[in-house]
Amino acid sequence: MMVDKRPKAKVEWADLIGRVASQGDREAFKSLFEHFAPRVKGFMLKAGCSADEAEEIAQETLITVWRKAGQFDPMTTGVAAWIFTIARNLRIDSVRRAARSGRSRQTSEPVDAADPADSADVMISRAEDASRVKAAIEQLSAEQSRVIRLSFIEERPHSEIADVLAIPLGTVKSRIRLAMNRLRDLLDEQR
Amino acid sequence: MTINHHPPEDLLASFATGTLEEAERLVVAVHVAGCERCGRFVQAMEQLAGAALEDAAPAPMAADAFDAVMARIHEGPAEAVRPVPPRVIAEHPDLPEVLRRCRIGKRRRVAPGVSMQPIELPGAGKARAFLLQSAPGTRMLEHTHTGTELTCVLKGSFSHQGGRYGPGDFDYGDDNMDHRPVVGDEGPCLCLVAMTGDLRMNGFFGRLISPFIRL
Repeated sequence: MMVDKRPKAKVEWADLIGRVASQGDREAFKSLFEHFAPRVKGFMLKAGCSADEAEEIAQETLITVWRKAGQFDPMTTGVAAWIFTIARNLRIDSVRRAARSGRSRQTSEPVDAADPADSADVMISRAEDASRVKAAIEQLSAEQSRVIRLSFIEERPHSEIADVLAIPLGTVKSRIRLAMNRLRDLLDEQR
Repeated sequence: MTINHHPPEDLLASFATGTLEEAERLVVAVHVAGCERCGRFVQAMEQLAGAALEDAAPAPMAADAFDAVMARIHEGPAEAVRPVPPRVIAEHPDLPEVLRRCRIGKRRRVAPGVSMQPIELPGAGKARAFLLQSAPGTRMLEHTHTGTELTCVLKGSFSHQGGRYGPGDFDYGDDNMDHRPVVGDEGPCLCLVAMTGDLRMNGFFGRLISPFIRL
């Protein structure tokens, strides 16, 4: 049977990562690459990276997917979220490198930095937390998850958010606030 | 460890999406590493970001990108193992894992009963991070901020008008705050602080010594 070129369900992406981890499966990796690399690049372009930076982050992200495939745990996170965190950390590193090369007056080169973002990934790696998180996100209204996404993930200015959601500019701030509080409440509720 | 004070949600969101300044990211990371509640919030933001990634408009990769990636994979990882600076560990054997991997500068005294150690961050921007150690019962000078101040308590406690802050607690101060923290009597208080702008000491004595403090 042929492998579907574009698996839809998360489980299938997870299977492909499992095959990369267990057998170094090049075909499985190619499917992941073809789906995710252009999306990481598109995401980074929207986040303000140059075309070269976005291409480099996308390539490095997929290299990391190959190398860390064995660490992916489908019980605790989704494939897209996992790949997002890899790309995010690489972008942080790239900002850091740029800052470092712009500061030649520094006498001694600091030891390679800790990755603060990593620790969060480690501590929240419990499966029960993951199901709580999933349930909370599912209970957010479509508008609320949209507001959070536009404001924090796509970092759109309030005027654009007002346009996209067709709401008055003056109410954007309170909508964001409400959506964040609701997410916090939903996460707290499920004890 | 009971944690009562948490970062505001927008700070946690920016932490999750990787858009905080390095010094601030470090302080939030230390809190999140010890706080399951905020850990879940960060995880929720990461899942939402994953959904946004899945929906992102694909941008075509360079023609040879896949071959280039496979070639780099077969070259093997270039990164070396990070050496841990031994001085820091000797001085604070129980620092959180995230901090143990940072290079921490020399301790210097900044006021009676108060000393600080800068944390050297390679990508630091406007915000600076440092460890602040205060003797039990120290009454900090009344001060206001020109920027923001993020604090995570590592040991001991302090109190101000916002309440009592013990290990793991997170305090967010901005230029609206005008407070005078008092360190708890139970022992020295060690905090991790990220600060933008300057600390303004109020009162005659504060104005007199603040040029020397330069926190």
